[in-house]
Amino acid sequence: MAADSEVYVLGGYQTDFGRNWSKENKHFSALMREVVLGALERTDIAPEEVESAHVGNFAAELYCMQGHLGAFFTEVHPAFSGLPTGRHEAACASGSIALLAASAEIEAGRYDLQAVVGVEQMKTVSAAEGGAFLGTAAWYSEEADGIDFPFPKLFGRLGDEYDARYGLDDEYLAEISKINYANAKLNPNAQTRTWYMNKDHALCRSDDNPAVGGRIRIADCSQVTDGAVCVFLASRAYAEKYARGMGKRLEDIPRIKGWGHNTARLRFSDKVAESLENEYVLPHVRSTITSAMKRAGIADVNGIDAIETHDCFTTSEYMAIDHFGITAPGESWKAVEAGWLEIDGKHPINPSGGLIGAGHPVGATGVRQLLDGCLQVTGQAGDYQVEGAKNVQTLNIGGSGTTSVSFVIGV
Amino acid sequence: MSRLPPSTAQVRRLLASREIRHVVVLGANGTMGYGSAALFTQAVPRVTFLARTKAKAEEGLAAAIKQVRSPTVASRADVGSYEADLERTVGEADLVFEALTEDLAIKRAMFDRVEKARRDDAAVATVTSGLSINELCEGRSDSFRKNFLGLHFFNPPNVIVGTELIAGRDTDPDLLDFIEAFARLRLGREMVRTADTPAFAGNRVGFKVLNECAQLAEELGPVLVDRVVGPYTGRALTPLSTIDLVGWDIHRAIVDNVYESTADEAHDTQRLPAYMAKLMQKGVLGNKTGGGFFKRDGKTKLALDIASGDYRPVSEIALPDLGYVDDVASLYAQGRYEEGMQVFLAAEGREAEAARQVVAGYIAYAFHRVGEVAESINDIDRIMGMGFNWAPPSVLVDTMGARAAVELIEKAELSVPEVLVAAAKSGGPRRFFEHPHINVGRFFVAG
Repeated sequence: MAADSEVYVLGGYQTDFGRNWSKENKHFSALMREVVLGALERTDIAPEEVESAHVGNFAAELYCMQGHLGAFFTEVHPAFSGLPTGRHEAACASGSIALLAASAEIEAGRYDLQAVVGVEQMKTVSAAEGGAFLGTAAWYSEEADGIDFPFPKLFGRLGDEYDARYGLDDEYLAEISKINYANAKLNPNAQTRTWYMNKDHALCRSDDNPAVGGRIRIADCSQVTDGAVCVFLASRAYAEKYARGMGKRLEDIPRIKGWGHNTARLRFSDKVAESLENEYVLPHVRSTITSAMKRAGIADVNGIDAIETHDCFTTSEYMAIDHFGITAPGESWKAVEAGWLEIDGKHPINPSGGLIGAGHPVGATGVRQLLDGCLQVTGQAGDYQVEGAKNVQTLNIGGSGTTSVSFVIGV
Repeated sequence: MSRLPPSTAQVRRLLASREIRHVVVLGANGTMGYGSAALFTQAVPRVTFLARTKAKAEEGLAAAIKQVRSPTVASRADVGSYEADLERTVGEADLVFEALTEDLAIKRAMFDRVEKARRDDAAVATVTSGLSINELCEGRSDSFRKNFLGLHFFNPPNVIVGTELIAGRDTDPDLLDFIEAFARLRLGREMVRTADTPAFAGNRVGFKVLNECAQLAEELGPVLVDRVVGPYTGRALTPLSTIDLVGWDIHRAIVDNVYESTADEAHDTQRLPAYMAKLMQKGVLGNKTGGGFFKRDGKTKLALDIASGDYRPVSEIALPDLGYVDDVASLYAQGRYEEGMQVFLAAEGREAEAARQVVAGYIAYAFHRVGEVAESINDIDRIMGMGFNWAPPSVLVDTMGARAAVELIEKAELSVPEVLVAAAKSGGPRRFFEHPHINVGRFFVAG
């Protein structure tokens, strides 16, 4: 295991996830341009300082008929022409994979300042067509071909697996949805901040909240979102210089204290078969979380002040609760019932609103989670600030629990 | 100087300082009534829909459910009539929300009844879009005036978050702070405090621009006006289509009120065009009467011929070459907003000049209203951005640069606001628009 990570996060910028860029008649390159220029302005970094860029994106080839996204970084500013760039893909974990690659290059001493951009434009196609595109994050021919909205069904099965092993009352899933939507109202960049939602609605069984995959109803789902996020990662040497220039101390600059990364087998049925003897339903996800904590020198979840987790569906957040160790395996409902997950609770989850409330532009999500962690530990999260947060942990998942990445960010 | 926004801790304290567990909505069958009532059910356990009859209130509830697409509205709502239920329900309410027709006498008569029935600590809010808050509560008890305020949602409130908060002379500052925090954090509103001036801030500035476009239509015709003052000038919905959507009668009520009760430097642009008054006599009120500047005949879009009052297919109306609009749009499509703006500023021809006149008038008028309708340009910016979905005046200035903005306003032969002159001279401030969470790019629609 590597020594103390020396990767610093200087800050960044996200687009308003409520925007529909197709309705604005905009090309995907406008997303990239706005987010990178926004991040430069917000962090007060000159474009000439950036040495390299990593772009996380899932499926621009499908949604926008456009590949080679790393090259679009050079279109943002004349100073970027010639920079080394690349694009990373691991389904919904694409953003985190881009972050891992950038931080590895910093740790290797290749570069001192890197831009990481997560971007996805999804509202270019109908819901059904988009649902099929997302199916390529599973083993398409085995699990998604010919199925309407394959992913809600796969994560419905995650709920069923919990139900079979430990019992699961859907009321707890509705409560998870409600908390995410309520937190989103506090986040000025959240997609659903103006949507109508309360717990009654999340629980209601009507045409306004139809089932889309087994026990998964519309209110249990994350959103189809256009969005981009950009953060700047830096070496210790650069962060020291940056902190001096900003009149700050190095200790005030957030650092990636630990990371975890695992990839499980693609098919959901294979994952479940592998874990039958295990107390955790998705043991590789558990391993990702604990290895990030271990690298950060944090003993357990009591050392984490807030979590930004991958609630692509309420069942994935339900899974995250016990996998983070907030409760014993199978007892996630206890944390919901005790009110621990709310912003002022013992273990706040998704103060931003998460993927359900803030939105889920697939390739941008991992970067958005890290940026929100950065805002939290520097006290800049505004109305969704978790008071006194010093360490935030993310969990970003690609596929049906297939690729998992977790970061601990802290000051 | 504008007030500093309260810190997160202050806001949380404020929210805990008071509770709204029951709202009574008066006029709950009207568009603003049921729309606001639906909004309240998100955060308030009990919302009473009141109207002239119980059946009307039930219609309001059904419309609310349809608007927000949630049957759960009903589980938090009850319905009643003024005659049978007003005194009882108002007596139980923490907030009475008035959304009656825009008529001073009707509203004042209702407040008579509310005053007698309400608890001393109950707040009373009006959703009026322009009647004076002070006049509405004139002659009421101390307790009423202290607890009375304007809470101006824009239609439809479940979609448009910009909201004006207007204090009367005697409104309790603590109540204002609480309502502001509650509306922002529980109802997801973008709250802007405005003065108790005619049409407040948003409609004062917005309808000046819309009316100027209606005046311009006499020269250019509706199709060309909506093309040249179109999305690329910083709005999702074109100006004359907006008047059709709002309704010509509402448009007239707002501009007449402003024209009669103000005398600012843009007075002439607030005068309703004579052709609109004439057509309204014939029953033309916009979309609600099947047509205004535009109407549909099956799949054919028709446009008003102002001279004759007839309609002609839009496809048959010849337009001059407006290639510059496409050039601007293709730059916007790639997020190159500054470059697109420069193309607009440099474009030749009468149409581009007319569009620049409207944009210059918008910027100058908004900056000149600071200190009159709101404390700072940023308040006006937020209501234009989040209430009208238009590029806020400061965003336009930032995108073109202060020097170019001054030149634009000078060429339009309008008086240049001093802050712009100063900024052009000094080269600063770098940004007039001060809301880091609002993406300014969203206002530049490529089209």
